[in-house]
Amino acid sequence: MTKFLHKIFPRSAILVLVLLTLAAVVGFAVVGHLVTRYNANQQARGRRLYAQGLADLNSGNPNQALEELRAALSCDPNNGQYELSLGRALRDTGRLDEAESYLESLWQRTPEDGTINLALARVAARRGSINDALRYYHNAMYGIWASDVDGNRRKAQTELIEFLLQKNALAEARSELVSLAAWLPPDPVLQLRTAELMLQAHDYGDALAEYERVLRLDHGNAVALAGAGQTAYRAGSYRTAQRYLQAAVSANATDANLRDLLASTNTILRTNPFARRISDAERNRRLAAAFDAAGQRLTNCAQQRGISLTTVKPAASSLSAPPGSAPSLVSLESRWLAIKPDLRRLRYEEENDLPDVIMDLVFSIEQQTALDCGAPQDLNHALLMIARNPDTADE
Amino acid sequence: MKDLTTASAAMTARAEHPVRFLGPRRLFEAFEDVFDEESFFLIVSVFIGIFSGLAVVCFRIAIDWTHLALLGPLPPVHSWRILVVPSTVGLGVAILVVHVFPAIRGSGVNQTKAALYIFNGFIPFRTAIGKFLCAALAIGSGQSLGPEDPSLQIGASLASALGRRLKLSREKLRLMAPVGAAAGLAAAFNAPISAVLFVIEEVIGRWSAGILGSVVLSAVASVVVERWFLGSEPIFRIPVTAFKRPSELLAYLVLGIVGGVAAVIFAKAIGFLRPRLKAMPRWTQYFQPAIAGLLIGLIGYFGFPQVMGAGYDYMDQAMHGQYVWQLLATLAALKIVATTLSFVSGTPGGMFAPALFVGAMLGGAVGGVERYLFPHLVGSTGTYALVGMGVLFAGFLRAPMTSVFMVLEVSGNYEIIVPVIVANTFAYLVSRSLEPIPIFDLLTRQDGLVLPSLEEEREEAILRVEDAVLPAPAIILSAADYIDAAARRIENSTQTLFPVRLQPSGWGAITREQIERRFKEGKGEHTIGSLISAQPLPSLYPDLPLESALRFVQNCPIVPVVNRANPQKLEGIVTSQSVFAKYAPPRRD
Repeated sequence: MTKFLHKIFPRSAILVLVLLTLAAVVGFAVVGHLVTRYNANQQARGRRLYAQGLADLNSGNPNQALEELRAALSCDPNNGQYELSLGRALRDTGRLDEAESYLESLWQRTPEDGTINLALARVAARRGSINDALRYYHNAMYGIWASDVDGNRRKAQTELIEFLLQKNALAEARSELVSLAAWLPPDPVLQLRTAELMLQAHDYGDALAEYERVLRLDHGNAVALAGAGQTAYRAGSYRTAQRYLQAAVSANATDANLRDLLASTNTILRTNPFARRISDAERNRRLAAAFDAAGQRLTNCAQQRGISLTTVKPAASSLSAPPGSAPSLVSLESRWLAIKPDLRRLRYEEENDLPDVIMDLVFSIEQQTALDCGAPQDLNHALLMIARNPDTADE
Repeated sequence: MKDLTTASAAMTARAEHPVRFLGPRRLFEAFEDVFDEESFFLIVSVFIGIFSGLAVVCFRIAIDWTHLALLGPLPPVHSWRILVVPSTVGLGVAILVVHVFPAIRGSGVNQTKAALYIFNGFIPFRTAIGKFLCAALAIGSGQSLGPEDPSLQIGASLASALGRRLKLSREKLRLMAPVGAAAGLAAAFNAPISAVLFVIEEVIGRWSAGILGSVVLSAVASVVVERWFLGSEPIFRIPVTAFKRPSELLAYLVLGIVGGVAAVIFAKAIGFLRPRLKAMPRWTQYFQPAIAGLLIGLIGYFGFPQVMGAGYDYMDQAMHGQYVWQLLATLAALKIVATTLSFVSGTPGGMFAPALFVGAMLGGAVGGVERYLFPHLVGSTGTYALVGMGVLFAGFLRAPMTSVFMVLEVSGNYEIIVPVIVANTFAYLVSRSLEPIPIFDLLTRQDGLVLPSLEEEREEAILRVEDAVLPAPAIILSAADYIDAAARRIENSTQTLFPVRLQPSGWGAITREQIERRFKEGKGEHTIGSLISAQPLPSLYPDLPLESALRFVQNCPIVPVVNRANPQKLEGIVTSQSVFAKYAPPRRD
């Protein structure tokens, strides 16, 4: 070979360069083959370690998973999937600083990546940092996703709302929910979840609207009926709640909670003295029943707390409680005793403010005894619920 | 390659014969004509880079494979394997070093310097094979050493072998080893600028176009090859680094001081233990790497496997904030212990990666402590770890320029240059004040070699012309002066030699005797210029090295020292006596 080359290229410098080039080509071929095999082995090993790591991570062994994912990443350093899983393992092992620092380094490379932003948002959420979580969740919502863009964005926004609810940031959660509902596809599952979140965010109006939207798509949807009933109940719209709860109980007669809620609703509607389209006699009867029930509740609660209630005749000034102060059981009893003699006036005096005075006292008693002695039952519970929403109770 | 050394003669001979062939052959002949040894050396440098790059790629794969085969993909903490593997492999490596490859013991940097300054560029090819094999086994089995120094030596050895094969001139052959060393180091670090600077700063010690061109070409070629096969990513994934508040410089200054002290401890530990272990009976050399391996295995067994091997993965993890500062500090201390054990036992491998490891851990730890004490003052742990690497490089390897560029090149982030410079400078100064002898010089002296210390050369005081300059004589003549006027001017002077300002520029000199003789001959109406020889005197500038005066003072009675801004202004003169007086040893009394 050398002789042949010498014949073609008689000058030695050229010959040397040709030989060196040939040697380099051969070297490239050999090393190329070696590196190809090496890379294939590394990637196979990386996949194996990654699978082990994921299995350990899912089986609640994040420390072992951490080592395996680190090893997987050293086999295939640029694998984004491995990197994210390592970040997740760091987060799950409670190494939030490390997870955050690690994910931030990934974020620097691709700040628009939805997956990385979502992972960082989860770390921030785990930390309880609302500002960071909001930033990264929003980045994830408006970031780039490799597939199912809408689904992933919705998922990120739903997670953000759940986080905000967890942090009791209800105003922020409600604003996110409005935005989420605006681009929600007509999918009952998604709409029901959104409505449920609205309910948690105390956004009863939008939640009810969302449930009703589902019911327009699927009239007999039991979950939507129950949800709508619960939402209306919490909103204090007991007439609406009754309608939905009756339908929900018909659709799912075995649900004890629904039955209880319906029973409570019926009681509220049956005992509400402010209900429209009832006779004066019925109103007076309801007022008297409420007054008696409140008095009984007061007595029971005082006994439960070991307080001896006075039977001293109250002064006229104690008919109404001073504004802005929580009345004591004793003062409530004084007021109750003061009003009791006037109860018979209900039958004769049509134009007076006695019903309002009575119900004002009843509500005060129910609210105070609920604070002092726990949740009431039956009629007292109904009165407490009316006390919370007296204006909408009949809607 | 005989005709390469006599390239000009061959070219002349070819010119005498008519060209007989046309076409490709003639083209090749014409191509051949452009080669003198200088050009050929540059082209060969590229090939050195290519071959070194290929060798380093194989070397890195060999280390990985060895590691996987011996220790598995996961750190085998609390496993018998972590104790048995490093010690058993250490024994095997010791046998190879003692019986087959005795030349691979020691630092590759020093062996390359020795090749340059002592052995006319000779490094046996066997060294490359031995270094490749033994270092791959040692590092792969968990000895706390790095692959950069062996890569450097593999490159140097390949280059030396190629230079000998090509029968290059002695001058070029000497330079082959550093050229190969730069290629090897560049491929190992994936950082050509740092490699070039390191070789210039620590091995060659001088800059010239020829050397720089070859070193740069080989380094770039090797990095291209390395990136071709292993990708262009740096050896670490660099975290987000930023320097925002100038007040943070104080924190980096502290890091520099701590790093400088750590570097001295590291160097002193090696300097203390190495000669003692070398002085032990020969049979112990078989067991020294094994015992070192066992002790390092014990460190790994008890929960710190990070100190085993080169540790790049763990540096990466430290830079990405995956360790708390207490663990980082522990790892830095244990790595110093582990590397000292490995290196002094004679196990082949380098100290670059361990130095970077210690720096990264120490940087992260210092950053963590500072962040704990001053939560609003300091940057990320990753930034500190990155700066810490440069700190140890500057303090331990005593390569301040390389350390700065290495951090910049590895991080690709110019923003942290100020903290890097501050921290590295302090580390270098602290280290130098506590331990005047750099680690490479220390190792050289322990090996009984006398190689130039490039740091000492840098620090050496240089004599300049201004140190030997004498005041300008009182009478300075002009070439336009008439001889009778000049004779009258010098009449009452004791001066015997007169500087003459020539027209339009330059300086000459004339003696009293010349002027008086011409005056007596009645040639007083002639000018002084007519007496001065056509060749003006050489002149010097005050800031030039005094060596430059030596060339002139032997043949000239005086050498004018002139102002650089105005060469017609005489600052003074130097004479042979004034120059030699500066080189005379100081008198004892």
